[in-house]
Amino acid sequence: MVKKEVEKLLAHVQKPGRYIGGELNSIIKDKETVDLRYAFCFPDTYEIGMSHLGMKILYSIANDREDVWCERVFAPWHDMEAQMREHNVPLYALESGDAIKDFDLIGFTLMYELSYSNVLNMLDLAGLPVRAAERHSLTPIVVGGGPCACNPEPMAEFFDVFSLGEGEEMYEAFFDLLIECKKKGSSKEEFLRRVSEIDGFYVPSLYDVDYNEDKTIRAVTPRNGAPEKVRKVVVSDLDNVRYPEKFVVPYVEVVHDRVVHEILRGCIRGCRFCQAGFIYRPIREKTPDTIDSQCRGLCDATGYDEISLSSLSTSDYTQLEPLLDKLLSWTIPGKINIALPSLRVDNFSDELMEKLNKVRRSGLTFAPEAGTQRLRDAINKNVTEEEVLRTSRLAFEGGWTAVKLYFMLGLPTETLDDVAGIADLAQKVVDEFYKNPDKPKGKGVQVSISVASFVPKPFTPFQWEPQDTRETLLEKQGHLLSCVKTKKVNVSYHKVDISFLEGVFARGDRKLSKVILYAWEHGCKFDGWDDSFKFDTWLEAFEECGIDPLFYTSRKRSFDEILPWDHLDYGVRREFLMAENKKAHGSRTTPHCRIKCSGCGANKLNGGKCDAMRAGMV
Amino acid sequence: MRCVRVWFEKKGDVRFISHLDLMRTMTRAIRRSQIPLWYTEGFNPHPYMTFVLPLSLGMESENDAMDIRIEGEISDEEVKERLSGAMPQGITVTAVSEPGLDPKFISFARFEISYYVSEGAVFLEARINEMLSGPELIVSKLGKKGHKKVYKDIDLLPHVKAYELILKDGVPTLSIVLPAGSTTNINPALLADKILEGLDGDDYYIIRRKRLFDSEMNNFL
Repeated sequence: MVKKEVEKLLAHVQKPGRYIGGELNSIIKDKETVDLRYAFCFPDTYEIGMSHLGMKILYSIANDREDVWCERVFAPWHDMEAQMREHNVPLYALESGDAIKDFDLIGFTLMYELSYSNVLNMLDLAGLPVRAAERHSLTPIVVGGGPCACNPEPMAEFFDVFSLGEGEEMYEAFFDLLIECKKKGSSKEEFLRRVSEIDGFYVPSLYDVDYNEDKTIRAVTPRNGAPEKVRKVVVSDLDNVRYPEKFVVPYVEVVHDRVVHEILRGCIRGCRFCQAGFIYRPIREKTPDTIDSQCRGLCDATGYDEISLSSLSTSDYTQLEPLLDKLLSWTIPGKINIALPSLRVDNFSDELMEKLNKVRRSGLTFAPEAGTQRLRDAINKNVTEEEVLRTSRLAFEGGWTAVKLYFMLGLPTETLDDVAGIADLAQKVVDEFYKNPDKPKGKGVQVSISVASFVPKPFTPFQWEPQDTRETLLEKQGHLLSCVKTKKVNVSYHKVDISFLEGVFARGDRKLSKVILYAWEHGCKFDGWDDSFKFDTWLEAFEECGIDPLFYTSRKRSFDEILPWDHLDYGVRREFLMAENKKAHGSRTTPHCRIKCSGCGANKLNGGKCDAMRAGMV
Repeated sequence: MRCVRVWFEKKGDVRFISHLDLMRTMTRAIRRSQIPLWYTEGFNPHPYMTFVLPLSLGMESENDAMDIRIEGEISDEEVKERLSGAMPQGITVTAVSEPGLDPKFISFARFEISYYVSEGAVFLEARINEMLSGPELIVSKLGKKGHKKVYKDIDLLPHVKAYELILKDGVPTLSIVLPAGSTTNINPALLADKILEGLDGDDYYIIRRKRLFDSEMNNFL
C-alpha cells in the first residue's frame, strides 16, 4: 500500500512498480489484531528478492500464524533511496506501507556476502542504529538467516541473532518467545539469553572471541549459558512441511518469474568447492504426488506458464521421470513449460530431453566446472569429457543450437593447462555440433562459457585453501581468452575485484565488522552490481581499519587453526572435510552418496536419517 | 475462435506499473480465470491479446480495453464474471463485448489531471486559464531523430481540443481532450508538468484517461 508521502516520490523514480506492494496474493492483515509484526527484508532489489524461493516459503509460513503479520521489504534502488532520504521517508514494508522501525522483528536473508553493505543501509534507512549494541529496546530484534549465516562473524556487530538452518522448523519457537517477552516487558538481554537456548539460534554478543599474536583465533567462549556449539536445525520430512499454496505475483518483471518447486533438498554429489552441497545436507526428497499437486495449485493460484523444478542437482531426483509424466499430463494442455535448471551431464537422456521440449524450448546449461579430468577429479565433480560430449550431441540432435557451460577459475591445484582445457572442451563441443549429419541448415552453433572465480567457503573441504589473488585470476582469464580460437565460443567471466571481496567476507571474522561499517559510511552499497561497486572505497576501508584483506583470502590455513565458524555446527564433520581436502590434493574422487555413504555426519541433524540411502532408491 | 473486447479500469497504485507489466499481469489473470483461450501456433505458443491504446506509466484509466481471442462456447457474461474474479487489486473488468471499432480509428482521448498543490485551487485555475489562453504553450518533448533521442519544442495549444476546470472530490482537476492514437498522440503529462513548472517541489498530479473517441468525437466502442 502506497502512502501519500511515498506516492509523490514515485513519479521521479525508475520502475515505481517495485515500491507499491498490492500484488496478487500479498497478505494484508489488521495490524491491531496481531501480536507480532515482522519485516522480512531482502538486502537487494525487488527483482532479485522476489525471485528468491526461501522468502516465498517463509512469508507463507509466518503468515499462517494469525498472531503474526509478515511483510516484505527490499532495498530501494539509488534513485528511490535519494528521494526517500530527501523527503524523510523511512524504509517501509510493502504490504502496509508502515515504517519498519516500529516492527517487532526485522529479518534479513543473507544470500551472498556482497549484500552486507545493503543490510546496514536498510537499517539506516529505517531509522535504526546499525550496530546491535546501540539498539537497546527489546524490539525490533534484528535477525539474519540464509546461507551466509554459516559464517556470520563479519556481520556479528549488526545483528542480534542469527538463525542457522531451515526457517520452516525455527519460526514457531522464536515467535512464541518474542511475543511472550513483549507481553511480559522483558529486556532485550533477557530475550537474547533465552533465545540462545533454543536450537539453531546463535546470539553473537554472547560469545567472546580472543585472538593470537598472529591474528588467528585463540578461543571462542560462550557466556551466560549460551551453548558451546550452535547446531543447525533442519526439516525432517519435506512432504510434511508447509509449502506455499500461493506465490505473490509481481507486477514488474522479476528475474525468476515463475512457479518454483523445490523437489529435493541437499545434494548427493559432494563437489568439494560447493558450499550448498555441504550445508544443505542431509538429502531429503519430496514425493512426486506432493510435488505434482502443489505445482498444480500454484499454477492455478498465480497464472504462471512456467514451472521450474529446483534443487542443487535436479536430475539426481530419484523419481524425475515419473514426476515429469505426472506434470506433463496437465501442463501440456495448459501450455505450461517445465524448466530444469540444474542438470548434470552424466544422467541427461533422450527421454528427459523430449519431455522438456513439449511446450516451449528453454536453454540448456551444464556445469563441467573444470577443463581437465585431473582437476574435475580434484574437485570431485565426477563427470567425464565423454559425458559432456555425449550430452552436447544429444542436445544438438534434439534441435538445440546453443548450449551454455559453467566453469570456475582459481580452483585449488589448478594450472594454466587446466585453464587451456576449458577452451579445448568448448571447442570439442563445437565440433560435436558439426559432426551431426542432421544439423539444421544455415544455422551455426553458439557455445557460451561462463567462468566464475572460485571463492573458498566455510564448511567445504576447501575451507582451508588460499584463494587465487586478483593478479593470478586476471592472468588465468587472459590465458583462457587467448586459448579460444573461434567466435562460436563466447566467454564471460566475473570481475576479480568482486570475487576478492566475497572471499574476504566468506571466511572472515568479527574484526571485519568495522571495515563493513566504514565502507558503508563512505557510500558502499549494492556491491554485487558492477555499476555500484566501489572497490577503491573498500580498499580504503581495509587500510583505515588496519586490516590486511589478504590475511583472509590468500593464506593457507592449517588443519588445527580455530576457524571463525568452528563454534557453529552444520552437521558435516570437520574430520570428513579434512579427509576430502587431502583426497583433492591427490586428485582422488569420492563416490556420491547413493553409491556409498562417506559418513559425512550430516544425518545426525535429522535423527540419523538421510534419503540418499532410503530403501527403494537407486 | 472469436475475439472479445474486455473493458476495464486501472486505478490507484497499479497506475505505477508499465504497459509491459500490465500485459504480463493481464495474461496471468486470464490464465487464472480459466477461460478457454486461443493460443498462437508455433514454437512459443502464447495467448492473443492486444490493448486498444497503451497507457503511459503513472496514469489511471477508465473505459480502457483489450481484445483477446477465446475458443469454445462461453458467453460474454461468463467471460466477464470469470475475469473479474481473477484480477489483482486496482484492475476492474467493467464489461465484455464484441469489438466495435478498430483501434486504429482512435483519434482523441479525454483526460482528467488532478492537482495536489500547496497554492490551492484558485491560484491553479488562474494559472491554467492563463496558460491555455495564451498565444502559444511551448513544451520540450523527447523525440527520436533517426536512432538518436533528441529534445524538440512543440506548441501544445493547437492540440487542445477542449478543456474545463472542475473540482473532483474537492481536488482541482483539469479535464482536457487531446489527440490520441496511432497518428497523433499527445502525452498529457507534457501539459501537466508544464503547469507545475516553478511551483513547490512537493506538488504533484494524477492523470486519469477517462474515455477514447474516434475522429468525430464519438465514443470508442
